[in-house]
Amino acid sequence: MFEKNKLSSPIAEFNGVSFRYGHGSEILKDIQLTLDPGSFHFMTGESGAGKTSLLGLFYMNHLPTRGRVRLFGKAVDTLSRAEKAQIRRQIGVVFQDYRLLNHLNAFDNVALPLRIAGVKETEIKRHVSELLAWVGLEKQLKAFPPELSGGEKQRIAIARAVINRPQLLVADEPTGNVDDAMAKRLLYLFLELNKLGTTIVIATHNQNLIKHFRFDQLHLSHGRLERINPNIRNNGQ
Amino acid sequence: MAKSSDIPFARDSSSFFISWISMLMVFIATLILATALITHDSVKNWHKDIAGSLTVQIPSYDSDGKKRGELLQSDTETALTIIRSADGVLGATVLSDAQMDSLMAPWLGEHITTTELPLPKLIDVTIDTKNLPDLNQIKADLSEQVPMAILDSHRIALSKLITLAQNIIRLVGIVLILILISLAFSIMFVTKSGLKVHRKVISLIHMMGASDFYITRQFANRSFYLTLIGGIIGFLIALPVMMFFAYYLNNLTGSFILNATLTHEQWGILTCIPVLTATLSYLTAFKTVWGDLKRSL
Ligand SMILES: Nc1ncnc2c1ncn2[C@@H]1O[C@H](COP(=O)(O)OP(=O)(O)OP(=O)(O)O)[C@@H](O)[C@H]1O
Ligand SMILES: [Mg+2]
Repeated sequence: MFEKNKLSSPIAEFNGVSFRYGHGSEILKDIQLTLDPGSFHFMTGESGAGKTSLLGLFYMNHLPTRGRVRLFGKAVDTLSRAEKAQIRRQIGVVFQDYRLLNHLNAFDNVALPLRIAGVKETEIKRHVSELLAWVGLEKQLKAFPPELSGGEKQRIAIARAVINRPQLLVADEPTGNVDDAMAKRLLYLFLELNKLGTTIVIATHNQNLIKHFRFDQLHLSHGRLERINPNIRNNGQ
Repeated sequence: MAKSSDIPFARDSSSFFISWISMLMVFIATLILATALITHDSVKNWHKDIAGSLTVQIPSYDSDGKKRGELLQSDTETALTIIRSADGVLGATVLSDAQMDSLMAPWLGEHITTTELPLPKLIDVTIDTKNLPDLNQIKADLSEQVPMAILDSHRIALSKLITLAQNIIRLVGIVLILILISLAFSIMFVTKSGLKVHRKVISLIHMMGASDFYITRQFANRSFYLTLIGGIIGFLIALPVMMFFAYYLNNLTGSFILNATLTHEQWGILTCIPVLTATLSYLTAFKTVWGDLKRSL
């Protein structure tokens, strides 16, 4: 009963959300958005449309300048620091610029969310090695980010975002640096996670992926958000 | 725990600074605290010397050898009044003839009575050892009204030494506090610059849901260990310096005035310094980071 209740409340709800950096112009305007648990969305929009800025609202990188964001049913502006940390631990983020820690090797970078969550070292060892093997980096466990290619770094960033099996995964252009075959493989990783219940939002420019997977799109243009259902649109054409 | 820190402290040069400054501070603190402890012990011994009774003499002849007769009696009365009214004096009595007799018996034999001798009047003063009287003041008052009165000068010297020593101990206390304050300030500034240097990493692990405590603890632990290491080195360097001074002082004074050796408890107090400074460093770093994080989202 409790599980079902939990699943039925939205993962994220944006209500009349606007956002600007400092005194700059409004980048997001009056965004209305509900993410249902277990949903899978692509986020699209041309460069500079505000995808990264919108994703930042999901993991409380910044607060909206107007309107209200609710995560896991709680209004973010009312959360205590401890509650924020607790919610952030349920959100995996793949940053557009990876943000790996250069002084930690691949293994320790991926292990970071588990250590923050206080998971036992023996478990960490097993999970991290397994996942790094899955993304094809079993030989680079001990390599430091500066010694890795862009695609390898991106895969470490993805592994780090999913290692803790987050409730919500927010990925900003996670396949920008890998070939189509690897991009699909990584998307299947997200799909696996999605099947286990993780809600997923992926910002991407990759039309091949969008066409291949046909998930709902959250499309940003001129600061406004619209939902595009590729299946309906295709049927209509 | 082989776990490396999330925050790349190894790459910033402030580590060296923290250890170095705590080495210096602990070195100085150890030396001056040892000085204070030794001084404190000596003061206790001096107190014992000074304790009990004090004697004031009123000579029965004046400087040109004339017997003073009645003047002696009135001088004694005046002296008694002055002494009794002083703060820290519990009582003062003139030694009776019988007491004088028994006092002199070892030298003069039982059969001679002191009344026949030109002995001075002796006033036996009982002083409060917990609240020592200001002997200099008593002396000054006496010399004004009873110029002939003689106050035990060894005690006056000792009481001056005690005052000096107490001031030294107070001064040491102030210097110790200043040392701790400047150490805390150094740690605070190093920690603040560390927060700036590592801002990106901190914000990243913050975004991953690290609690404030998780991040703060890493800074505080690092501060603790660096200060402890520097402190232990400073303490070890202070040891031979202290031994040299102890040897030198004991030779110089023959340990009559100063006994420059430390008891086990005092060694215990001294070894606490590196631990105390490290703890102070932990708390300072903790408070600095904690306060800074509170301002982040
Ligand atoms: N930290 C910032 N301070 C001020 N302005 C910013 C900041 N970050 C982004 N912007 C501006 O906000 C707008 C949206 O940027 P954003 O990064 O969200 O776009 P995007 O859709 O992610 O673009 P891309 O596809 O190139 O990653 C841009 O005009 C950008 O210049
Ligand atoms: Mg972007």
